[in-house]
Amino acid sequence: MVPADSPVRELDSVSVRKLFLGRPVLVNGNQLHPLRNRSDALLDEVFFQHIVAMSDSNYDRQILIGVNRQLALRPVELNRTAEVVAALHADPNAVSFMWQRDVGHNPELRVIRVLWSD
Amino acid sequence: MERLVSSLRVRLIGVVLVILAALVPPLYLGISAIVREGYAERFVNSLRAYSRLVADELEALDERDFDQRAVALLDSAVLSGQVVFAEIRDGQRTLASSIATAPINVPARDDFHFGDQGDQTYFITHTLNRGDHAVLLRLGFDEVPTIERIAAAERSVLLVLAAFVAASIAVAVWLSWVIARPMVRLQEAAQRVASGDTDTQLHVRSSIREVQELNYHLEHMRRELVGTNMQLSQEIREREVSEQKRLDLERRLLHRERIATIGTLAGGVAHEFNNIMTPILLYSQLALEGVPPDSALAKDLARVIAAAHRARTLVTRILTFSREMDSQQPTVFPLRAPVEEALALLREIVPANIEIVLNAPAEALPVLGDASLVHQVVINLCTNACEAMRRSGGRLAVTLAAVENPPESQVAPGCYHVLEVSDTGHGIEPAVLAHVFEPFFTTREVGEGTGLGLSVVHGIVRSMGGVITVHSEVGRGATFHVYLPAPSVQQQETARLASAAG
Repeated sequence: MVPADSPVRELDSVSVRKLFLGRPVLVNGNQLHPLRNRSDALLDEVFFQHIVAMSDSNYDRQILIGVNRQLALRPVELNRTAEVVAALHADPNAVSFMWQRDVGHNPELRVIRVLWSD
Repeated sequence: MERLVSSLRVRLIGVVLVILAALVPPLYLGISAIVREGYAERFVNSLRAYSRLVADELEALDERDFDQRAVALLDSAVLSGQVVFAEIRDGQRTLASSIATAPINVPARDDFHFGDQGDQTYFITHTLNRGDHAVLLRLGFDEVPTIERIAAAERSVLLVLAAFVAASIAVAVWLSWVIARPMVRLQEAAQRVASGDTDTQLHVRSSIREVQELNYHLEHMRRELVGTNMQLSQEIREREVSEQKRLDLERRLLHRERIATIGTLAGGVAHEFNNIMTPILLYSQLALEGVPPDSALAKDLARVIAAAHRARTLVTRILTFSREMDSQQPTVFPLRAPVEEALALLREIVPANIEIVLNAPAEALPVLGDASLVHQVVINLCTNACEAMRRSGGRLAVTLAAVENPPESQVAPGCYHVLEVSDTGHGIEPAVLAHVFEPFFTTREVGEGTGLGLSVVHGIVRSMGGVITVHSEVGRGATFHVYLPAPSVQQQETARLASAAG
């Protein structure tokens, strides 16, 4: 999920993993900013299983290793969907994820990749 | 001992078991949870990374030979050994691995945790973005190897905990023995002390400091007890000696009072008797002068006069005993002089079977008093000794010596010149010994003795400030000690001046 005015058109799964593991991802010279949506538990599970493809403790470990070695930035974590939407509106280089039902027909948001379908 | 050891053992084991019962189950559950968590995380990490790789590979496949390559990739996944189910759903179309797998029920939704849904398979569905549509990749990972690893690890934990429990019980048993052994020894030692054996030292070796301290304190108590017992025994002995001395003094006081009473009585009688004897003797001598010397009457009068002299001698002795007799002025004289004089007289009259020996030092051994009284003392004592040896013969030894603080209980501490008269005669019976100084007490036949000899000696010695003692064993003779106080220089000088003036 990116803002409608985002320069990002598509992202492969490896770029998504790099982004949410805090590693720099550049599109048209702009560094993308990951927003981790923590609005519900199942979304968290999907994040670990399908986006970063590791366990939660391993994710924390990788983030810590990356931050300590100054290779990575910890993704911004937001606990409510509205906050995620607002953050996406505010930053054209922001990238996040949310349920399809929460996106609705918001014209200011754009889906660039389907991560998981139940 | 066994009772104490077993009691301590049971208690220690009981305490250990209670502690283990409280600690081991939560410890086991905690360790199991950690083990399970670790294996589960490793499993989930592994399959998520692997499935993501497969999904990425499939997503990158070219559209032209997608089906063929996708099936090959699914086969490769199954051949890895971890994947037990692999298929791709593209709308109504399904691509599955060509390698047959066991029939499996695919759940409606994904697993997100190890062991979810209890089917021993971890199902994960990746959405592959292929152009304008999404394709679903479903993979099932076998959880059984991980479950078995977890079970094996839990068994290992259980075994380790069981070994820990067994070791704890063994340590408890060993500790009970280590603690109980010195305690038992201490108990035995305390029982010995309680039963009266206070000489055995309490010495129990133990590596336990508290036991060492207990041993130290018990030993300290034992020593205190021994000290107190010794002190009590000493006090009891002193009291017994003191009581014995008191009884002895009491007996001597009674004896002295008795002698003094008898002496006073005898003195009074003797004085009156002397008055009676004076006219008898006087008129008998006058009558004798008036009759012919060869007449029968003259012989009778001579017998009367002789008897009167004997009576007067007897009266004189009684007066000497009672000190009613006029005493001469005391002088200082060497003890040896009257002794030698008396022995010279005795040698003339004693039988030949009696040997008389005098042991006297060279020094003068001065005494204060009347030398004739000492002469009488020696005559009386030696006469009795010779009488005791008259039939069997023997040895009469007279010894003079200077003694300081004599060992005799009757004699007060001080310097004395001693006259010792000992014989080897038949000795004196203990019952008789207590009465030998009493006046008129005699063991001789009637008419052979007056019973005044030793009582006179006793009176003389007492009048000189001395003490007379007697020791005898039946069949081994008798020994008399006459302790006469050694006069001081001042006393000697005073006596010399008085003698010169008199």
